[in-house]
Amino acid sequence: MSKRIYALASLLLFASMMLAACGSTPTAAPAATEASTEAPAVTEAPATEAAAAGAPEVCATDEFGCAVFKPGDVIKIGMGAPMTGDYAAFGIDISQGAMIAVQDAGDVDGFKFELVTEDDGGSPEGGAAVANKFVTDPAIVAIAGHIFSGATNAAMPIYEKAGIPMMSPSATNPDLTKQSSKVFNRLVFTDADQGRFAAEYLFNKLSITKLAVIHDGSSYGQGLAQVTNDEFIKLGGEVVEFTAITPGESDYSATLADVAAKQPQAIYFGGYNAEAAVIVNQMKQSGLDGVVFFGDDGTFGQDFLDRTGANSEGTYSTSLVPPATDAKAAFDAAYEAAYQTPAGKLSPYTWTAYDSAASLVSAIKSVAVLGGDGNLYIPRGALVAAVRSIKEYQGLSGVVTCQENGECASSGPTFYVAKDGTWVEAEK
Amino acid sequence: MATENKVNKKKVSTYKIVQIVLGVLFGGYIVWRLYQILIANPVYGPDTWLRFAIAGIILGSVYALVAIGYTLVYGILHMINFAHGDIMMIGAFGGYFVFEALKNISTPTVADPKLNFLNAHPIVSVILAFVVGVSVAALSGYFLERIAYRPLRNAPRLVPLISAIGASIFLENAAMLMFGAQRRDFTNPVVLTRGNGWEIPVGGGTVILTYTGVLTFVLSIVILVLLYLLVQRTRMGRAMRAVAENKNVAALMGINVDGIISQTFILSGGLAGAAGVMWGIHLGLVYYFLGFIPGIKAFTSAVLGGIGNLPGAMLGGLFLGGVESLGPAVLGIDFQLKDVLAFGILVLVLIFRPTGILGEVLSEEKV
Repeated sequence: MSKRIYALASLLLFASMMLAACGSTPTAAPAATEASTEAPAVTEAPATEAAAAGAPEVCATDEFGCAVFKPGDVIKIGMGAPMTGDYAAFGIDISQGAMIAVQDAGDVDGFKFELVTEDDGGSPEGGAAVANKFVTDPAIVAIAGHIFSGATNAAMPIYEKAGIPMMSPSATNPDLTKQSSKVFNRLVFTDADQGRFAAEYLFNKLSITKLAVIHDGSSYGQGLAQVTNDEFIKLGGEVVEFTAITPGESDYSATLADVAAKQPQAIYFGGYNAEAAVIVNQMKQSGLDGVVFFGDDGTFGQDFLDRTGANSEGTYSTSLVPPATDAKAAFDAAYEAAYQTPAGKLSPYTWTAYDSAASLVSAIKSVAVLGGDGNLYIPRGALVAAVRSIKEYQGLSGVVTCQENGECASSGPTFYVAKDGTWVEAEK
Repeated sequence: MATENKVNKKKVSTYKIVQIVLGVLFGGYIVWRLYQILIANPVYGPDTWLRFAIAGIILGSVYALVAIGYTLVYGILHMINFAHGDIMMIGAFGGYFVFEALKNISTPTVADPKLNFLNAHPIVSVILAFVVGVSVAALSGYFLERIAYRPLRNAPRLVPLISAIGASIFLENAAMLMFGAQRRDFTNPVVLTRGNGWEIPVGGGTVILTYTGVLTFVLSIVILVLLYLLVQRTRMGRAMRAVAENKNVAALMGINVDGIISQTFILSGGLAGAAGVMWGIHLGLVYYFLGFIPGIKAFTSAVLGGIGNLPGAMLGGLFLGGVESLGPAVLGIDFQLKDVLAFGILVLVLIFRPTGILGEVLSEEKV
C-alpha cells in the first residue's frame, strides 16, 4: 500500500515538474518584450503581422502600431465601471447609455462596434486590474471611462503605455488632466468648475456666509470639498467647519452634532448619495434643523430622494442633465425601451456616457483604414491624437471640443432643489 | 532564597509603577482636557453635550445588542463566532421583508383610503418583524453551528476560527446574490419615522430624543435581563453553565452537550436577529455587508466588558458608544478619528485589566 502511494506521489511530482518546465517557456517571452518596449507585446504583435500582409503605410510609422481586424471581427470599446457594490447604479447606468451609442454607431467599412464592460468596483485597485486586462485584448482600441476618479487615476498610466485613448463621462477630479496624459480626455465638467459654481451659488444666490464642508475622504469627494472651501473663502465667506466622515457607516449623528455646534447656515457635501442620504436623515436630530444641505453631482438622482423622503425637501444638488433637444428625446425613448427605466433615474451621467462612446466611435471612423487584404487597420497613435483633437462634435450634452489638456466639457453644472419628492431646476 | 524573593518583588513593583504612572498621566490629561473644554474655553453648549451623550448611548445600545449574542457563544464554547454580524444582517433582511409585505396590504378606512397595514397597526407590525427576523436568524444560527462548527468540535482552536471567518464571507456573498448589492431602505411605520422623537429644550437649543433610539436602549436592557435570568434561573441555563465549565464532566452528568450547544447558537442567532431588526428600524439601511462593522464593534465591546460576561457586554457596548461620540469632542480631535480612539481605549483597558472591565467569564460562578 505504502509503496503504491510512493509510486503515485513520485509520478505526480514528475508530471508537475514537466508541466512547470513547459509552462515557463511561453510566459517568459511576453514578459521580456514588455520590459524591453514601451508598448505591451499584444499591441506590437498585430503590427508586425500587418507589415507582412501589406498593411497601410501609417501602421509602420505609428508610435503604437495598428490594431488589425480580420473580416467578421468587431471593434471593441472598453468600459471600466462599478457594476456591483454600493455604487453599482452608476456603472450600470453609464454602461447602458454607452451601449446605446454603440448600437447607434453603425459600422466602418462593414466592421461593427461592441462595448465591453468590466467591473472595476470604482476603486483604484479595480481600475488598475481592469486596465491591465483591457490592454491585453488587441481588439480594444478605446476606453469610454473609467467612471470614478480614483479608478481612472490608477488606470491612466496603463493605457498611456498601450496607446489607448480614454474619454471619461464622469471622472471629475481636477488633477486628472494636470498630469499631461496624452490618452486621457473627459466630457464632464471638472470638480474645480463645479466647486467654484457651487461656492458662488451658495454665497451670492442663497446669501450663505457661514458654511460647513463635509466630505467622504474619497478622491472625488475630498477634492470637490477642498475646491468649494477655497472658493467660498475667496468670495469672502466663512467656513466654520471642514471635516470628513467615514463612508459606509449608518450613523453620523455625533459628527453632525459637532458640526451643529459651529452653527453653519449651510452644509456643502462632497461625496455620494449613500452617505448624503444618511446625513440628511440625521440632520434634524443632530440640531441642524433648517440648515441648507447642498450636495454635489454624486448625490443627484432619484435614489437620494427615495431614501430621504420628506427630509429631502429644500436640499440642493448639482447635475449635468442636458437641455431638452430632439436628440435627447430620441435617446431617452431608446433608453427606456431598452432598459424599462427612464434615462437619468439611476445616475445623471447617462447622457455624457452616450456622448463619450459616440465621440470615440466618430474618432475611430476618422482614422480607420481598410487594407488591400480586406483587413481593417486602426493606427493607435493616430487615434489617440484624433480623440484629443475632437472639434465641434454635436453630442447630447452640447457641442464637444477638446482642449489640449483633454478637457472636452460642453456644459457647466445645473443646480437642482428637491420639491415634493422631485428635483426641480433651482433659480439661476 | 531570600534574594530570589527580592528580585521577584522588585519586578512586580516596577510593572505596577509603570501602570500607575501611565494611569495618572492619562487621567490627568483627561481632567485637563475636560477643564479646557468645559470651563476655560467652552466650544460646545449644554445642548450639544446632551446630543453627544444621547448619540453615544443609543449607538452603544446597538453595539450592546449585538455584543450580548457574541459573548454568550464565547462564554459557552470559548470560540469567537465571527459570523455573528452576518446572522444579524439576515435578521435585518427578515424584518425588512416583513415591513415591505405589510406595506402592500391595504386596509382602507373612511378617513384615509390609502392606509396600509403597516401604519394601521404599527405595534403589531413591529412585533411581526421581530418574530420573523428573530426566527430566521435563529434558524441560520442553528445551521451555522451544524455545518461550520460541529464537525470541528474537537479540532485545534484556530480551526473553528477560520471556519467562522469562512462562514462570514459565505453569508455575506450569499446575501448579495439573493438580495442584490444595492442598499435598501427600511420603511418604518409613520409613527416611528426616523429622526422623530421627544423634544427637550436645553440651553437655548432643542434636543431630540428619537423614538427608535429609546426603543433600542429599552430593548437591549430587556434582552439583557431576560437572558441573565435564563442563564441563572432555568434548567437550560444551568446546563449551559455546566457545559461552559467542562464539556466532558457535563456529559457524564447526563447533559446532552451537542443539544446545549445547538440551543446556545439558536439563542445567540435569535439575539443577533433582534439586533438586526432593531438596527434596520433605527438606522434604516439594509444591505448585504451591514453586519461587518457592527460585528467588529460588538466584538470590541464584548472584549472591553470582559468576554463571556453578559452584563459586561452591555457595559462594554455603552462604553464604546460613549467613547466614539464623546471622545473626539473631549479630546478636541477630528470626528473621523473616533475609531482610532475607540481601539486606543481598548488597548489601554487591556493593559490595565487584561480580562476587560468586569472581567469574568460565564463559566465562573457569577455568569
